[in-house]
Amino acid sequence: MKHVIIGMGAAGITAAKTIRELHQEDKITIISMDDQVHSRCMLHRYISGERKAEDLSFVPEDFFVTNRIDLLKEEEVVHINEDKKEVELKSGNFISYDRLLIATGSNSFIPPIVNFKEAKNVFGLRHLTDAVLIKDYASRSKKILVLGSGLVGMDAAYGFLEEKKHVTVVEMADRILPKQLDETASGAYQKLFEQHGCVFELGKKAVLTTINDSDEITSVVLDDGTIVDCDMIVVAAGVKPATSCAENSGITIDRFILVDDSLKTSCENIYAAGDVNGIAAIWPNARKQGMTAAYNMCGIPTTYEDSYGMKNTMNFYGLTTLSLGDGVISEGDEVKICEDSCQYKKAILHDGYLKSIIIQGALDYSGIYQYIIKNHICLNSIKTDIFHLSFADFYGLDEKGQYEYQQTGS
Amino acid sequence: MKRIFIDASKCDGCKNCYVACMQAHRKDTGTIYDLDLQNPDNESRNHIVIQKNGSYAPIFCRHCDQPECVMSCMSGALTKDKESGHVYYNEEMCGSCFMCVMNCPYGVLKADTTTKTKVIKCDFCFDHGSEPSCVKACPTKAIYVKEVEG
Repeated sequence: MKHVIIGMGAAGITAAKTIRELHQEDKITIISMDDQVHSRCMLHRYISGERKAEDLSFVPEDFFVTNRIDLLKEEEVVHINEDKKEVELKSGNFISYDRLLIATGSNSFIPPIVNFKEAKNVFGLRHLTDAVLIKDYASRSKKILVLGSGLVGMDAAYGFLEEKKHVTVVEMADRILPKQLDETASGAYQKLFEQHGCVFELGKKAVLTTINDSDEITSVVLDDGTIVDCDMIVVAAGVKPATSCAENSGITIDRFILVDDSLKTSCENIYAAGDVNGIAAIWPNARKQGMTAAYNMCGIPTTYEDSYGMKNTMNFYGLTTLSLGDGVISEGDEVKICEDSCQYKKAILHDGYLKSIIIQGALDYSGIYQYIIKNHICLNSIKTDIFHLSFADFYGLDEKGQYEYQQTGS
Repeated sequence: MKRIFIDASKCDGCKNCYVACMQAHRKDTGTIYDLDLQNPDNESRNHIVIQKNGSYAPIFCRHCDQPECVMSCMSGALTKDKESGHVYYNEEMCGSCFMCVMNCPYGVLKADTTTKTKVIKCDFCFDHGSEPSCVKACPTKAIYVKEVEG
């Protein structure tokens, strides 16, 4: 059996490793546009100078040798021919497969702001190649504008601030990290970033730009008339799934590559895992999907079940936060807040079920909350208050010594 | 693989396991008699929760068959060792994102109290040989090591 995997992010690498564990004799080829394995969640530590490029890898150095994986790096799949069961590479070569996994992830979305596409000093931050270009350009820049204050934007801002750059973050929402945090939790980070020199333009949009003869944007005009001078711009306004290799191949794409419960696409023998299938674009889910796809590619029918993606942790300047759920308060919801000088916690419940929770400060033993939300565990019968819950409230063990959640209150 | 089994009905909450874990992971040297119990650098990897009915729930890393912490680790710091079946943590590689803390379904993990850059994670006392220190210290045999299919 010959497996071909496109992409070597979390999903692709996990799939390759799993296939090797399941089938010792199968042939595995990874085709990737990257030149080395790297964790996209750590690119800011490269920009900040805290890590070298090679220290961004999340696999051991000998990973490809040990697992007998052929790697075609810095190579792009331009077409998939389902009938012939082969992929066409940009270099002109063809690679045949028995099972194909598309784990191409996503690319930065560059919003349609005048001159953004043409300018030489506008960068997305998604791949190590982006980070290398950014770091190089930043070394010659003083003033950097970051568009978007999601996790990628704030990661980038952090990296530049560590390098003593003058950073301005422009955000459409009225607060930073708006998807993950409410006003209070967001405000705590804003204060920390401001203490490190960051300037914020909140509730504003970039509408106009000034470009010089060298095709560099030198300033951006915001919708309230504010003018922000800049030497370079990093765009962190979301991502779009990297579906180009699957276009015109018969694979059904509706913004994302559509997959069934086994992560199979509309085409036989072709699977898709990670950001590209739109189920839950977050690291742990990408890895689990890579594993599920690998099982199915090896003929072991497995269903992918964990579609819960509204979860994140963050850590800036030593302040840690966990955020689960969309944070939206609807009619009939119960909101509980616990706050002191070192921590802020907010839970949104409905009819005894936890919907969203923010924990800012110590995250000790907070892993249970995701399980409770994801598995719709009713908390009505539990006497412990929401912020002091622990696994002890659900304590159970199976015969193998693994923990298992017990129905409580009965 | 070897797993620390728990018979919670035998636990009387003495926290010998807790102190033994602190002693096993202290950075300085010395005996249990000079172990600084208030120094957060000596944090324990296990903990015990007293329940509403007065019984005790020992919370110990399971070194899970399908470890969610490993799946959530974006730096490669957490790995499931094929040979021993245990989940090991490489402090040097850790990106301090704490996705593992959020993804442990049993709330076993936490960040280190002092620097918030490391994860406090059971290592099965792999460099101490024989049994984990907590197990050796348990006077009631509420925790014991047993071989299970990994």
